[in-house]
Amino acid sequence: MSYEKEIMDKIQNGEVVPDRLDLPVLKYLWEASPLYFGKKENYHEFFKKISVLSSFSDNEIRIFTKFLHRREFIANEVIFKQGDSGYGFYFIYEGSVDIFANHLNANPDDKGEFIIRLDRRQYFGEMGLLEDFNRRSATVVAHENTVLLGIFKPDLENMLEIYPVIGAKFLRETALIMANRMGQLTKEIMALKRKLKEVEQRI
Amino acid sequence: MNRHLKTKLVLFCIIISSLIGFAILFPRLTMPFGFSYIVFLMTRPLTILLTTGPVKQRLFYFSILILGLSFALFPIFAAFYNIDTDFSRLTEQLPELEKKLQDKFFVFKVYVFERFGYRLNIDPVTFIIKKVETSGIFLLAKIPEFLSSFFEWLLLVPMFLYFFFFQSQKFGANFLRAIPNSIFEKAYVLFSQFNLKFGEYIIAKFIEATILGTFVTIGLLFLDYPYPFILGFVAGVTNILPYIGPVIGVVPALIVGLISNDPNISLFGMAMVFLVANLVDMVLVFPLLVSKVVNLNPMVVVMSVIVGGQLGGVVGMIVIIPFIAFFKLLFQEIYKDLSVQI
Repeated sequence: MSYEKEIMDKIQNGEVVPDRLDLPVLKYLWEASPLYFGKKENYHEFFKKISVLSSFSDNEIRIFTKFLHRREFIANEVIFKQGDSGYGFYFIYEGSVDIFANHLNANPDDKGEFIIRLDRRQYFGEMGLLEDFNRRSATVVAHENTVLLGIFKPDLENMLEIYPVIGAKFLRETALIMANRMGQLTKEIMALKRKLKEVEQRI
Repeated sequence: MNRHLKTKLVLFCIIISSLIGFAILFPRLTMPFGFSYIVFLMTRPLTILLTTGPVKQRLFYFSILILGLSFALFPIFAAFYNIDTDFSRLTEQLPELEKKLQDKFFVFKVYVFERFGYRLNIDPVTFIIKKVETSGIFLLAKIPEFLSSFFEWLLLVPMFLYFFFFQSQKFGANFLRAIPNSIFEKAYVLFSQFNLKFGEYIIAKFIEATILGTFVTIGLLFLDYPYPFILGFVAGVTNILPYIGPVIGVVPALIVGLISNDPNISLFGMAMVFLVANLVDMVLVFPLLVSKVVNLNPMVVVMSVIVGGQLGGVVGMIVIIPFIAFFKLLFQEIYKDLSVQI
């Protein structure tokens, strides 16, 4: 739903609408337009193309971006390690990251086994946002110079308090990501079980 | 860790040490800044409640400012008009008060002698009166200094409050960018937790003090005890100090009861009012409001209050509890990390 439609709905429902120009919103919409080539980061275009936030209106994305933290990592910098306490969910704004798992505690230089590379517009770390005592299940390392947009537990709590509708929407989307990952995991377990059975039969 | 990351970490440590150094070196700025921060945290839930609706944040800020200024200025104007008369009345009443206290102490001395055969050769009453006189003179001499710092606060607090209400988010975002990536998540979450606990603790103590003060005032009103509002107010304010506060709070009421000529005054009734009020506070209000926020062992709370008092006086006694709660969180976090590494 666009911002204009939201305002029209408010007028039709007899709700209070701003009686003067909301300059920050106009400024934001101007910066979000494809004709704008300003130096500022254009988070709006970025989030519009992310499937997780597809149900968010322009205004909701504007509010959502207020709660994000921009973090810059140089190539090979560790974003977080397997076993660390996790509190944040990251979107890759620029660059790419490598995910490793099963690293040995004894060797601090060991990253573990390479699992997957994630590129721009992909995301990771959603468990850290939802679980109370989350431990990171993998090590994430910046493959090149990377910019991440992170949202952390306190931000989510703040969002739920100040903008409960947007907070709930975001939580629903995060839960959907988790459900999809669970579905994928179940499929992988089933495939592994099948292979195990085949190996057992051969033996 | 490569050179770039090490430089970032060292830079961040320098920024933090400089800020702490600045805070210690310039207490005249730090104190109003801290006070504004506490007010900001206290009003935050209300800000969220009001500013998400049609009421604008700026309007809320100015309402808080006008309310705060009225509260702050009223005692000053009252003091300007009454300070001379109050002080002369006090000096006039001091000999009478001294005589009354001497009489009471004499009765007590006779009682001790008759009951236990022991002669008390001490004179605490003269000592206390002398102390009150010297403290009064000392306080009067301090008034110009107090007034100058008060007007300084009147200028600084609204300025700092404006900063917290309208600019802290932008400033905070820039400051957070300076935190090295390796410690960012933990530092940010711990700092947010501290803010939350500190704000909740101050609000909880404020509500607790109001409940206790109201309870004592109503009780004393029923007993027809003199000065019920002032004594209730004192009981509420002193209750902010954990464990020691309730004992201090009862002292003014006891003194009023001892020096009063009214035969209908019941010291026992007054004691019962304070006892019941503190029991309600201990059994109902404190567990429901405050202990949930701090979640600390009572022994730790008592020790912290003593240490806080030694370090920072009355303010230290109040502020130390959320700090201890924060350190508990910090140690829990470090312990969790260590246990994973082992």
